[in-house]
Amino acid sequence: MFPPLLRDAVIFASLLSMLSTGLTLTYMTTKVPNFAHGDFATISMYTSLILAEIFGLSPYLGIPLGFLVGSLTALLLYISVLKPLLDRGANYIILMIATIAYDMILISVINILADSLTYAYKIATRLFILKSYDFSIFGLPGIAVVAPLIAVVMVVALYLFLNRTRFGIAMRAAIENPSLAGVVGINVNLTYAVSWFISGGLAGIAGSLMPLWLMCNPDLGMRLIVSVFAASIVGGLTNIYGAFIGGLLIGFAEVLGTGYLSIIVGSWVIPYRPIIPLVIMSLTLLFAPKGLTGIAWREIFKRGG
Amino acid sequence: MPLPIAAVFLIDLLAFIGIFAIIALSLNLEFGYMGIPNFGKLLAVAGGAFFVGAIPGRVLAYVFGVMNGLDYIRDNLKIVGSLNQILSSNPALSIAYLILSLIGAALAGAILGYIASYPAIRLREDYLAITLLAMAEILRTIGYNWPDLIGGTKGIPIPDPFRWISGEFRILVATIIILATLGAVLAYVELVSRSPLGRVLRAIRDNELSAETYGKDIVKFRMKTLMVGSAIAAIGGALYSFWTASVTAAGFHRVTHTFWPWVMVIVGGAANNFGALVGAGIFVTLRKIISFYKSYFEPYVPFDVVWLEYLFLGLALIIVLMYRPEGLIPEKPTRTLSPDNLQRIISKIRGGGGASKEG
Repeated sequence: MFPPLLRDAVIFASLLSMLSTGLTLTYMTTKVPNFAHGDFATISMYTSLILAEIFGLSPYLGIPLGFLVGSLTALLLYISVLKPLLDRGANYIILMIATIAYDMILISVINILADSLTYAYKIATRLFILKSYDFSIFGLPGIAVVAPLIAVVMVVALYLFLNRTRFGIAMRAAIENPSLAGVVGINVNLTYAVSWFISGGLAGIAGSLMPLWLMCNPDLGMRLIVSVFAASIVGGLTNIYGAFIGGLLIGFAEVLGTGYLSIIVGSWVIPYRPIIPLVIMSLTLLFAPKGLTGIAWREIFKRGG
Repeated sequence: MPLPIAAVFLIDLLAFIGIFAIIALSLNLEFGYMGIPNFGKLLAVAGGAFFVGAIPGRVLAYVFGVMNGLDYIRDNLKIVGSLNQILSSNPALSIAYLILSLIGAALAGAILGYIASYPAIRLREDYLAITLLAMAEILRTIGYNWPDLIGGTKGIPIPDPFRWISGEFRILVATIIILATLGAVLAYVELVSRSPLGRVLRAIRDNELSAETYGKDIVKFRMKTLMVGSAIAAIGGALYSFWTASVTAAGFHRVTHTFWPWVMVIVGGAANNFGALVGAGIFVTLRKIISFYKSYFEPYVPFDVVWLEYLFLGLALIIVLMYRPEGLIPEKPTRTLSPDNLQRIISKIRGGGGASKEG
């Protein structure tokens, strides 16, 4: 029998790593921490909800749609807000403020959608969960298998994309040195736009899976963003594999930490769960500001051995 | 003699403008003059409010011996009731209580600003922004879930320092005190911005490297600015609590106390204190008008009209960033002495002897 706490941790960590990997990808290209990233996932929660409650389809079938909705939302942010600002010579602080403004817009759109759905179809759109649509496999809920599977597929696909395809290599060049990449004929703007498309898509996949396990609400993305940032920072903010590992680490630490602490000191600690990613993030910033991938592991092992 | 309804409406409006202008000015000091993207403005505002909710009332209760083995949170109504009786018959005590609480809130805000920015103060500003945002969320979580602090989700009433003023004149006096505090804050930030310190802040904002080569300790200035800014914002939060005579954790949110001040500063004009003031004035007035006419829309739309307001604010902010990034009242060049004054000083130095030759 699989321990329930570990099962919770695996699901949450997988979903979180999809979010943090995408956040880091756009940070690497556009150099802006995207404060609206959580909302890309929230929007896809509602596509899953619509598919399930109105059309009676499984949320798993909503994954492609979730990907599309998330990626288009992210692409819209890049094309209609960030790119024009970049063209006007805005610095990254202005871009950050713009993502906060976009966050507000998305939150209002999501809430309007939620209220309208309740009004038109009489379905619960706040604090909803779609666990009943999940299947069961070896006594485990399907999401406990599907979420980690998708997370692993995601990271392998990203690796192949960035290292084995022409466009992926061009994207890495554009990240490394945008002006030089432009000189050798790479369409830097296109690679950045694609990075936003992928980033939003990954968040969208995570979002479309979330209702199968988490209690969903229009503000879930807004609340998750602290954990997502913590995961990306632990990963170093400039390395997508670091962000993936950071997501797993923060996810496990949050679920297992809260779980064991609530057994030891009492259930009153459960609401304070967001403190765990914050503490890990603060410690990372203080002692290894470049994150796990920024530490010179080889040097350390050489000295040790 | 009751105040006319229009006067009450106006007083209410002025009080809210005053409180948000104080918060916007603190953000303008941090962001406008120094370029610190403080996405955790909520932290200091909530910190000031939570402080006056948690500490001064308990101190008063001990000093006047009304605790009698009661629990400050569970028996709050009883304790605050008897404290209000004491305060209402003693204006001097009320004013001392108000001033000491505001000083305490400012200190609490400064300490919170120090702790929250410590992990990321040496890193690039985006790390600092993320850290401050996260810290603010944590303070809100604590306020919401720890009932012993300020009553958790339900909130608590706090001893009212304006109880000695009868009837509706209470809010008049409270509003005057808020506006007086705003005046003091405005005078302070305006002085800072014109002082050598203000020029150092702008120099760091415009080019960290060159400021550093002139021997300016960027981390120290950043830390000090954040502490002062947080102290001012905490006073804003504390004044709001005294104005409503209560504190509720749910009343403090990322949208209302981080996002709104940002809209005010950006729309009004960053690095210009009067811009922040105008921004706060326009913003609060517009919201008041919108909420006044909201009920006319409500029957026609299938959702809560408040979301349209958020949508409008987000769009407005992006449009301002794109088409008028300097805001309504742009930053002014640093004020220097007028040519006449300069001439007079130069001639004085020349007249005084060889001092001018050394320059």
